[in-house]
Amino acid sequence: MKTILLSLRNIFRNKRRTAITFMAIISGMTGIIVFGGFVKFTYQGLRESTIRTQLGHVQIYKKGYSEKGVANPNKYLINNPEAVEKALSVIPDIKMVSSRLTFSGLISTGEKTLTCKGIGIAVEKEGEMSDFETIVEGGQLEPDMPDGGVVGIELMKALGAKVGDYLTILTTTTEGAINALDFKVVGVAQTGSQDYDSVFVKLPIKLVQRVLDTDSAEKIIVLLNDTDNIGRVSLVLEDIIKKNGFNLEYKLWSDLAIFYNKVVQLYNGIFGVIKIIIGVIVLFSIANTMNMSVFERVREIGTLRAIGTTRAGIMRLFISEGILVGIIGGLFGIAAGILIAYIINLSGGIYIPPPPNMNKGYIALILIVPEVILYAFVSTVIVSALSSIYPAYKASKLKVVEALGHV
Amino acid sequence: MISLKDVTKEYRLGKSVINALRGIDLEINEGEFISLCGPSGSGKSTLLNLIGCLDFPTSGKIMVMDKDVSELSDAVLSRLRNNTIGFIFQMFNLIPVLTAYENTEYPLLILGMNRKERQARVSRMLDEVGLSKFIKHKPDELSGGQRQRVAIARALVTNPKIVLADEPTANLDSQTGIEILELMKMMNEEHKTTFIFSTHDQKVVRYAKKVYNITDGRINS
Ligand SMILES: Nc1ncnc2c1ncn2[C@@H]1O[C@H](COP(=O)(O)OP(=O)(O)OP(=O)(O)O)[C@@H](O)[C@H]1O
Ligand SMILES: [Mg+2]
Repeated sequence: MKTILLSLRNIFRNKRRTAITFMAIISGMTGIIVFGGFVKFTYQGLRESTIRTQLGHVQIYKKGYSEKGVANPNKYLINNPEAVEKALSVIPDIKMVSSRLTFSGLISTGEKTLTCKGIGIAVEKEGEMSDFETIVEGGQLEPDMPDGGVVGIELMKALGAKVGDYLTILTTTTEGAINALDFKVVGVAQTGSQDYDSVFVKLPIKLVQRVLDTDSAEKIIVLLNDTDNIGRVSLVLEDIIKKNGFNLEYKLWSDLAIFYNKVVQLYNGIFGVIKIIIGVIVLFSIANTMNMSVFERVREIGTLRAIGTTRAGIMRLFISEGILVGIIGGLFGIAAGILIAYIINLSGGIYIPPPPNMNKGYIALILIVPEVILYAFVSTVIVSALSSIYPAYKASKLKVVEALGHV
Repeated sequence: MISLKDVTKEYRLGKSVINALRGIDLEINEGEFISLCGPSGSGKSTLLNLIGCLDFPTSGKIMVMDKDVSELSDAVLSRLRNNTIGFIFQMFNLIPVLTAYENTEYPLLILGMNRKERQARVSRMLDEVGLSKFIKHKPDELSGGQRQRVAIARALVTNPKIVLADEPTANLDSQTGIEILELMKMMNEEHKTTFIFSTHDQKVVRYAKKVYNITDGRINS
């Protein structure tokens, strides 16, 4: 009680110095809250866009595909995709189930021939998953275009073709025979990845199945209503596969999202370093203030000791001062952090230029993340307490007589 | 109550040794009002600090309340200073962020006294030193004499056996100094508290019932 009263009075004794300490805490906490909110926004955005435009939440394959399918995809096809889709459609959390079939081949205008990667999709289902492609010319593939195709912009440029042209694709069937298909270019798309843009051709899955001479699918993409339900869904999925005796395996988005995982790792690393730097700055700033305050109050410490305060009592006095500085500064810091985040969001967010190998940037907003705020507050209080330990120790070790003689 | 046996105190400054006290034998009893008189540098402060358990002798034995001071821990010594010994300083040494009331109350907070008794004691004490109108004032809003009155209230609030006052009037004008001494004397008579105050002012010495003259670290009675 007496300790807290005295600490509190002492904090507001030298207002200017306290203001400087608070500024250090407030800037530090604002930094953590804003950067943490930005990181969270980026994770969430990247996660959702990765899932909803590329990977889906779950990908289902024939058993063994993940291990050996890359070298020999034709051997690891799901031969009854419709039955599987039907079995899955009973799960309530599932938004969409769709089969895909990919192949490699040669694409030709008649004059020029290049390699390409064909991807067959169920056009009527995967409308939403095309969001990550920007159509730069023509239109998107529609269900009423059985022989239409969308081609990557770089591939289109290299071929020298234009929308409306018919192109020929040459590939081998699952049995190994050479086969060809013609399709009409209905649109040119850009995805963000230049590598991908220079090879991909998107076609209706029926067309791809015909040229590969099969009814099978390479994988089945499952999209959920909410990413948070994935744990529950994967359990049900497991159950369904077992009950129906399907010879299948599956992977969750988090195992497939290499880019997402790398970004998370990178940002967590950066965030960690920033936190440490901020922590150290705040630590030294408070320790410095505390040291000055101990030095100025030597005679007072002597007096307190003379009237009966123990060494431990002096320690408590200064440490509680540190903790109070942390708590009060921390509350200001939370307010400032949230305020700055709002200001940034209201002023339209922060434009983030495209990452390497990508050609689209994005606008980042600052999420208010309760865990980050709590983290920032708790660590501020801890850092303040830590930084007052040494000054408090020094104060407690003062010799009473010498302290009393100090002017 | 307090006894010193052949107490010496040396200060070392680099290679030179200053013998601040050279063999003090002293017996202090209940209810005494003692003046410690001597020129500057004679060892008055040093002696008071030893009696007040603020410092330790180089040799000799100090007994406070039948306890050998050298054998006591910081916690026990602190408690002793808190409830058995009161201090009055030349520079008043009030806590600047606390009001007159809070300064007086502080030793009782350390003692852990309950709120009701605390309030009663602090109010009565401030009343006795004539400051009941200034309880809400901070030290820098009080005159020197008023500050020393707060210090007296703070020294006496725990009902100590002995109050040590190192040149309590040196920072006051002579009229105020006399008032402070009158107050101390009144407290001595009323509460039977032992007072020892140091001074080199002959006008102040007059108030003492017993005078110890100290020169060069020795008491010459
Ligand atoms: N911390 C110290 N270090 C070194 N020497 C000291 C210290 N304190 C006191 N002395 C010396 O010890 C001797 C006694 O000092 P003390 O302060 O007890 O004298 P005093 O009688 O109180 O003097 P004054 O009237 O000036 O207050 C002096 O010579 C002084 O210089
Ligand atoms: Mg002195």
